[in-house]
Amino acid sequence: MTTTRDLIRLLVADASAVRRQPPPMLRAGIWIAMAAVLLTIVAATIGVRADLGVKLQDSTFLIEVASAGLTGIAAAIAAFHISLPDRSGRWALLPIPALLLWLSTVGYGCLTNWVGPGPSDLVAGISLQCLETIALGSTPIAVILFFMLRHARFVRPLATAAVGAIAVAGLTVSALRIFHELDATVMVLIWNVGAGAVMSVIGTLLGPRLFRSSM
Amino acid sequence: MQPETSPRVTAKTDRRDWSRLMASAQDGDRRAYSRLLEEVAPYVRRLARRRLRSVEDIEDTVQDILLTIHAIRHTYDPRRPFGPWLVTIASRRIADRVRRRVFLLNREVPLKREHETLSLARTNLSEELVDGHRLRDVVEGLPRAQRWAIKLVKLRELSLKEAAQESGMSIAALKVAGHRALKTLRAMLVPHED
Repeated sequence: MTTTRDLIRLLVADASAVRRQPPPMLRAGIWIAMAAVLLTIVAATIGVRADLGVKLQDSTFLIEVASAGLTGIAAAIAAFHISLPDRSGRWALLPIPALLLWLSTVGYGCLTNWVGPGPSDLVAGISLQCLETIALGSTPIAVILFFMLRHARFVRPLATAAVGAIAVAGLTVSALRIFHELDATVMVLIWNVGAGAVMSVIGTLLGPRLFRSSM
Repeated sequence: MQPETSPRVTAKTDRRDWSRLMASAQDGDRRAYSRLLEEVAPYVRRLARRRLRSVEDIEDTVQDILLTIHAIRHTYDPRRPFGPWLVTIASRRIADRVRRRVFLLNREVPLKREHETLSLARTNLSEELVDGHRLRDVVEGLPRAQRWAIKLVKLRELSLKEAAQESGMSIAALKVAGHRALKTLRAMLVPHED
């Protein structure tokens, strides 16, 4: 068995100079910029929704897209902070106001669209397209985020994975709403809340393992 | 006269030194890194001792903490205090160890004397408890009726009716003889506990 003294000797022998990590705010900004670029590429390939001009006049739609985007940005800032040992875990609370606003707009949409939900609420073609957009948009930005936060496995792996997943979900869903005509109550609920919940759960379950395997 | 220094002030001074040492270590100064780890080890050992009892657990945790410091030393910002950075890492590793210990405790059953087959000095295996030869000798020494009852009913496992036909005894007589034979054998073969 290696004694602590031997271990220190081994670590010192291995201690080459390291590049200090930039501040978490800057790293969050870098990731958000990369996510914006990737999501714009996805938008360019898929194309924006036909009724975007009309939707931009709709304040509920604007609040929904903005709050989802804000949730993503705030969660990204929080994730980069809580992944560090010398930052407070309370940073995890940062996305909560935007998240509540986002969820409340989804709820409001449900209420106004609730009257007479017809068969158009569950259109397989649209939902498959949306799944494709979610997969195309969220997978690369999630991979980049988990790579940038891989040191979190030593600090707060679960919290970082959960908040990171909210960041990915927020940005992806805000982009999704611009690309897709998806106002039907059930689908909006499934995609907006479901995407966030599923990604949080996947992030929470797989996050620590992803972090572990990447180090 | 030397002014008295409180432990808290010493700790703060240490941590300022540790901050400088870590900054140098990040730049590749191995001597500074060695000094930092040598000084940090007893400090985190004290922290581990508050939550862990076993010496092996404490030492394993200290090593986990040192390995973590090494793995993420690039995340330390020298403009910020070293203390919170170190204490968070130490707390996480200690909590991990405590969790693992509780997990193992809930799944392990300590092997006690009652779990052993041979817990007494005297073996409890029936083969050895009652020696076969001796049993045969004792059975041969029984009165005739009792001997028949044991041999036919218990050893050859005949029914009472078959045994009665073979021995010429009545079923009731076989039952009584068998009962008496067992009582005699028990008295002769099973040692009395003190």
